[in-house]
Amino acid sequence: MNNSQLEMLVHYQDIDLMMKEAEEVEKTLGFHIEGCEKLQKAKDELEQNLKPRYLNIYKRLSTRYKRPIVPVQEDTCLGCFAKLPTYYTVRARDDKEMYTCENCGRILYWMS
Amino acid sequence: MNKKTFISLFQENHYIVDLKGRTKEAILNELLEPLKQNHVVNNSDLLLETLKKRETLGSTGLGKEVAIPHCRSLAISELVIVVGRSGKGVDWNAIDKKSVRLLFLIVAPPQEKQNIYLPVLGKICEMIRINKIRKKLFKTDNYQDFVRIIEEAL
Repeated sequence: MNNSQLEMLVHYQDIDLMMKEAEEVEKTLGFHIEGCEKLQKAKDELEQNLKPRYLNIYKRLSTRYKRPIVPVQEDTCLGCFAKLPTYYTVRARDDKEMYTCENCGRILYWMS
Repeated sequence: MNKKTFISLFQENHYIVDLKGRTKEAILNELLEPLKQNHVVNNSDLLLETLKKRETLGSTGLGKEVAIPHCRSLAISELVIVVGRSGKGVDWNAIDKKSVRLLFLIVAPPQEKQNIYLPVLGKICEMIRINKIRKKLFKTDNYQDFVRIIEEAL
């Protein structure tokens, strides 16, 4: 996966989670938070620049998980805490493809 | 979260005595600088963008000349706090319209082992509500005194 695409997808998730938190506040506390429209606009802009294939994977995963992209720490997927196979770690360094966890299917993000 | 854990989050190299920036973006950039230098942040541009987006949801200027810019982002692997003082003050579109002189930048990954993001945010708010503590924090210009004041406040 192209690295900039992954970075964009990570940013997309950050905005997505921020909006979900704001929506929760609206529901629980009952007041409207201004600015959500601007975040939606930023999300739409990112959507235009993201490859549809990656965006579709993200959207499909987001119906199952709150956080479709998860970091990898010590060769472990921090979504399901499954240990990743060694060859995954080696292959992931080339940043050419999108890697998903074999156990839970979440998109993996290696912290360099 | 105990007192020791809370204080350990304030590190000497994450304390900026005199912020030079005059705008929100410049200040956020300055606050991110120690994280870049210490390689704590994976992608500082991404983090800056997320912080700016957070500001669009409402200013993090709490009033009484204090702001707590904060966000969760995958660009960082653990919770960090950067403290900055601005002698002249900076316009942060705060709730009381006053310029901001003390800033606490809090960034955390979307999920953390200890889940202390909100407790930390709450603890800082609680601390700066006290007039005496806030005034001391405005005046102090070194890390050791800063930590001593926080210890006193807890």
